[in-house]
Amino acid sequence: MLKSTFTPFFSTIPAKPRFPKPLPSTILRALTQSAPPVRQNTSLTIFPPPTSAYVHLPFCRKRCHYCDFTIIALGSSSSSNQPEDDPRMVNYVQLLCREINATQVKTNPPLETVFFGGGTPSLVPPKLVSSILETLRLKFGLSLDAEISMEMDPGTFDGEKLKGMMELGVNRVSLGVQAFQEELLKSCGRAHGLKEVYDAIEIVGSCGVENWSMDLISSLPHQTPEMWEESLRLTVEARPPHVSVYDLQVEQGTKFGRLYTPGEFPLPSETRSAEFYRMASRTLSDAGYEHYEISSYGKKGYQCKHNLTYWKNKPFYGFGLGSASHVGGVRFSRPKMMKEYNGYVENLENGLVDCGGSKYIDVKDMAMDVVMLSLRTSRGLDLKSFGEAYGSSLVVSLCEVYKPYVESGHVVFLDEQRRAMTVDELNSFKLNEEEIEKSLAYIRLSDPDGFLLSNELISLAFAVVSP
Amino acid sequence: MGFLSRASKTLKPPKNLSLLQTHLTLNPLSSIFRRNPVSTNFNYDPLRLSQAFCSHSRQSSKENAVDLSQYPAERIRNFSIIAHVDHGKSTLADRLLELTGTIKRGHGQPQYLDKLQVERERGITVKAQTATMFHKHSFHGADKDGAGEEPSFLLNLIDTPGHVDFSYEVSRSLAACQGALLVVDAAQGVQAQTVANFYLAFESNLAIIPVINKIDQPTADPERVKAQLKSMFDLDASDALLTSAKTGQGLEHVLPAVIERVPPPPGKSESPLRMLLLDSYYDEYKGVICHVAVVDGMLRKGDKIASAATGQAYDILDVGIMHPELTSTGVLHTGQVGYVVSGMRSTKEARIGDTLHHNKTIVQPLSGFKPAKHMVFSGLYPADGSDFEALNHAIERLTCNDASVSVARESSTALGLGFRCGFLGLLHMDVFHQRLEQEHGAHVISTIPTVPYIYEYSDGSKVEVQNPAALVANSKKQVTACWEPTVLATIIIPSEYVGAVITLCSERRGQQLEYTFIDSQRAFMKYRLPLREIVVDFYNELKSITSGYATFDYEDSEYQQSDMVKLDILLNGQPVDAMATIVHNLKAQRIGRELVEKLKKYIDRQMFEITIQAAIGTKVVARETISAMRKNVLAKCYGGDVSRKRKLLDKQKEGKKRMKRVGSIDIPQEAFHELLKSS
Ligand SMILES: Nc1nc2c(ncn2[C@@H]2O[C@H](COP(=O)(O)OP(=O)(O)OP(=O)(O)O)[C@@H](O)[C@H]2O)c(=O)[nH]1
Ligand SMILES: [Mg+2]
Repeated sequence: MLKSTFTPFFSTIPAKPRFPKPLPSTILRALTQSAPPVRQNTSLTIFPPPTSAYVHLPFCRKRCHYCDFTIIALGSSSSSNQPEDDPRMVNYVQLLCREINATQVKTNPPLETVFFGGGTPSLVPPKLVSSILETLRLKFGLSLDAEISMEMDPGTFDGEKLKGMMELGVNRVSLGVQAFQEELLKSCGRAHGLKEVYDAIEIVGSCGVENWSMDLISSLPHQTPEMWEESLRLTVEARPPHVSVYDLQVEQGTKFGRLYTPGEFPLPSETRSAEFYRMASRTLSDAGYEHYEISSYGKKGYQCKHNLTYWKNKPFYGFGLGSASHVGGVRFSRPKMMKEYNGYVENLENGLVDCGGSKYIDVKDMAMDVVMLSLRTSRGLDLKSFGEAYGSSLVVSLCEVYKPYVESGHVVFLDEQRRAMTVDELNSFKLNEEEIEKSLAYIRLSDPDGFLLSNELISLAFAVVSP
Repeated sequence: MGFLSRASKTLKPPKNLSLLQTHLTLNPLSSIFRRNPVSTNFNYDPLRLSQAFCSHSRQSSKENAVDLSQYPAERIRNFSIIAHVDHGKSTLADRLLELTGTIKRGHGQPQYLDKLQVERERGITVKAQTATMFHKHSFHGADKDGAGEEPSFLLNLIDTPGHVDFSYEVSRSLAACQGALLVVDAAQGVQAQTVANFYLAFESNLAIIPVINKIDQPTADPERVKAQLKSMFDLDASDALLTSAKTGQGLEHVLPAVIERVPPPPGKSESPLRMLLLDSYYDEYKGVICHVAVVDGMLRKGDKIASAATGQAYDILDVGIMHPELTSTGVLHTGQVGYVVSGMRSTKEARIGDTLHHNKTIVQPLSGFKPAKHMVFSGLYPADGSDFEALNHAIERLTCNDASVSVARESSTALGLGFRCGFLGLLHMDVFHQRLEQEHGAHVISTIPTVPYIYEYSDGSKVEVQNPAALVANSKKQVTACWEPTVLATIIIPSEYVGAVITLCSERRGQQLEYTFIDSQRAFMKYRLPLREIVVDFYNELKSITSGYATFDYEDSEYQQSDMVKLDILLNGQPVDAMATIVHNLKAQRIGRELVEKLKKYIDRQMFEITIQAAIGTKVVARETISAMRKNVLAKCYGGDVSRKRKLLDKQKEGKKRMKRVGSIDIPQEAFHELLKSS
C-alpha cells in the first residue's frame, strides 16, 4: 500500500535540478537513470585547486618526422647557438607570462610540480625560463620541494646552460634521446646525432642532475629487435632513474603519416611492435625499474610526480600555445595557432574568458576519464573511491565486464594488500556490492598483456559507464 | 496470385494459343471478366456508345472539378503497361500522362509514377501505380457527338514493375484491367519477363496491344521483334505499335489503340455496388487509402460500405481518382478505378482482393486474389539490440504499405528479439530493408535468407521450416525426409551462351525441361531448379557468364525430395543460431568453406583467438582461426591532453556498440551482410 502511493508521489517531483548552486546540480542533471548517482558530498573534493602546471615552450630547430605537436620551428639559421634574444621567443614568453598573470584563481595553494614541455624547452634561454618561473612563483607560489621538470634534447644545451636551468630551480630533466642508432635518428628527422646523445648523457651526469628520465621511442621505421635491444641496454647502462618509452604513433599530417602505413614495412608489424613493448617491459623491470604507467618506468621514488597528476585525474594548469588544462572539472585546450592564442590571452585579460565551473560537466565523462587514466597505471582503478564517487553498482558492472579478461590474463583484480585474485578464487566469487567491497580494492591491467591492449579494455569499461 | 496462376501455365511456350484456353477455367479472375478471351481487337459501335452517353446524363456533384458521371463504362478503358525490366514502361507512362495533359511536360521527374525513394535510386518500379487520364477520341469514320466535339474517354493506366519479385503487383493490377500494353524493347526483343507478363495478361483474358518501344535506338530491329511476338505469342505483327518513349515517335497511336482495342469494363451499373480492393497504403494525413475498382454499381461519398471478408462496415469519407495525385470526385461509377478513404484504422483491415459492397446489401463476392506466395524467409533484427521496439514500429508501418511481406516474431540467442519475414524474392527483401532504413530510419541485421523446406520426422509429423535454427538435433525425433521448393525458370539467351548456361544450371541441380529457339539468334530454355539455388546469386552469375545478355524469370513449382542438411557455424565452439543455413548435402563443404572464409575476413582480430567452424551435426567441414590481437595504439596523452585519447576510445566504444556480441566475440554487421551474399 505504502509503495503504491509512494511511487506516483515520486514521479511528480519536477525534473528541474533540486540543488541550487553550481556543481552538484550540473552533475545531477547530467545523470541518466542508468548511471548510479554521484554522491553529493564528494563533488567538492573532486575539484580542488590545481597544484601542478604544464608550461608549453613550442620552439624546435625543426619538426621531427613523426611529430604533430604544436611547435614553432626556428629553422637552421639559429643552428648552433641561439641568439639570447630571438624575438620570437622573447615575445612568446611575454605573452605566456601575461596568460599566467591573467588566470583567475580562487584559492591558491603553492605549485607542487611544474613541467616545461614542448617543442624543445631546452632551446629557450635560462633568462626567459627564469621569468616564467618567477611569474608562476608570484602568482601561485612554488613549493620548496616542487618537482620542476624540463624536456631537453641532445645538442641543444651544454653544461653551462643546464647549470643555469638548475639554478633557477629545474630539478628534473627529461632527455629526448629516442634512439641509440645514428640511422634511426636521421630517418626520423631528429636534429641531433648519436654523438650529441652521448654528450648530453655526459652533461646531465656531470652537472649532478639526480632526477632525470631517458625518453625513447619504439617501433620506429627500420627499427630491428637488435637495435631496440641495444637501445634498452645502453639506456640501462646510462642509469637514468626514470625511463619513458613511447610507442611510435603514425599521425595524419606528419611526414611519417604520408610515407608509412602502421603495421607495414618499414614500420614493424603489429606482432613485432608488441614484441618491442614486451622487450622494454622485461629489460627495464629486470633492471629494477617499476613499470608504473603504460609508457613510464621509474626506480623507487622517481616516478614523475607531474605526470601522476594526469593519471590520477587531478587538476592542473596549462599555460602556453595549445596547452591543455584541467581546472574546476573542465578540460580545456588553448588555441594551437599563435594569432588565436594571442587573442585568447587578450580576452583572458579582459575577463572575457569564462573559466568558472559553470560549464556543463557530464558525470559519465568524469567517470570515463578516471577509468581511462587510472587504468594506464600499475596502481589501477581504486574501486573504493570510484564507487564512492560514481556508485557501487557501476563497480559491480565493471567487475562483470572484466571478469573474462582476468581469466585471459589481461586484467588483474587486487585486494587492499594488492594481492591478486586467482582465477579459481574469482570463479567462486559472487560479484555483488558487499563481496566486492569486502575483498576487492583495485582493478589493473596486466603488464605487458593488458597494457598492450589497453584501448580494447578501456573501451569495454566505457561501454559500461556510458552505454 | 502471381506465382500460382503462373504455375498453371503449360511448360511449352505455346505456338498455338488455343492450347492455353483449357487453362483459363483455372483462372480465378475469368469470372469477373466474361468475354471472349483471345480477341485482341475490339471495335465498338460508336452509335451505341453515344446513345449510352446521352442516356447516362446523371446529376453530377458540382463541387468537383472532374465530373465522372460523363463517363459511363463505354467511355472507360482500364489498361496496364507490362514488360520486361527496363523496357520502358514507366517512361511510356510519363509520355501518356503528358500527352493527355495529366502532368505537365518537363515538370516533375522522369518516371513520374516511381515515387518511392528506392524506385528512384534504383531506377526500377517496385509498386504498381495507377493514374487516371482523360483523352478525346473519335472512332475512325464515326460522327462526332451532338456538340460536334470528339467524345472524351476516361483512361486508367497502371504502370507495373518488371522484376520477377514483383509480379504479384502485376497480377493484381491486371485484375482491374481489360487490356494491357505489352512493351518490348526493339533492340532486346522478347525477354524472360516479357514471356511471364504476357501469360499473366493472357490468362486474365486481357486485350493485349504489343508496343515495340525504343525504336530510336541504333540497334533497334522492330521486324525481328514482330517475328518473335508472332512465334512466341501468336500476336499479329500488324497490330504492334512502334514507339519511342524517348523521342515521342509513334506515341500518338497508343491511346487510340487503347480506346479502340481494349473493351470497356463489363460491369453492370444498375446492379448493387461491388468493388474489388486492389491495394492499400497508409497516408499520414488521410489514414488508410484503398485503391478500388468499381465492378458493378456506383459509390458515393457518405455511403456506408462493408467488407465481404470481415463484415466490418465503414463510412466513405472521401472518394476520387488518382489524377495522378489523389483528386476527390465524390463518386465512382461502374468500371472506374479510384481511391476511397473509409476510416479504416489499419491497412490490415484492407484485405487485398476483398469485395466491398454497400452495407446491408447482399452480393456475390468477387473472386479476389490468392495471397502472395513467400519465396524466401529471413530473420530481421535490430542492428542495435536495444532498438527492438523501434524496429517493431518501423516494420508495422512499412507493412502497411507493403502487405506482401509476412512477419512473425522470433528470437535468436545471438541476435536477441527480432522477426522472421517472408518475401517474394531477394530483390523484394532488399527493397524492404532499404525502405525500412530510408522511410523509417531503422537499422537492421538480416540473417541468411532461406527458402521454406518441409521436413518429415520419424514420428510421421511434417513441418515447414522457415528458419534453419528451428532444425534442432533430437534423438527422439529424427528427420526422415526433406522436401525443397522448386521453380520453373525461363531463361532467354543469345544462342552462343547456351553451353555456359547449361553448365551453370546443372551445377545448380537444375533439370532441363525445354530448349528451343525464339529465332535464329536467341535460345529459350526452361529448367526446373531448386529455389534455394537461384535465390541468392544465380541471376548475377547468369548475367556474368552471358555478358549481361541473359534474362531470367521463374514461377514457383512443386516441392521435390532432397538431401538437405543443416549447416551450423560455430564461433569458438559455440553454434551461432543466426548463421545457420540449410544446404544440399553435396554442397555443404564448399558452402561451409565459403562462409567460414567470409567470416574470417570480416571479423576483426580480438583479444582472444577465434576459431570459426562450419559443421553438419558434429562433423566439422571447414575451419579457420583468427589470431588474437597483439597490440593497440598506445597514445601518450602528452602534456595531460587526454582529449584525443578520449575521442579514440569513445569511437572504439561506439564501434563495438554497432557490433553484435556473440559470446565474447564482437561481430561487425557487415559480416552478417556478407553472409547473405553467399549461395
Ligand atoms: N533510347 C530509349 N530509351 C528509353 C526509351 N524508353 C525508356 N528508355 C530508357 O530505358 C530505361 C528504363 O526505362 P523505365 O521507363 O524505367 O523502364 P521500366 O520498364 O519502367 O523499368 P522497370 O519498372 O524497372 O521494370 C530508362 O533509362 C529510360 O530512359 C526509348 O524509347 N528509347
Ligand atoms: Mg518502371
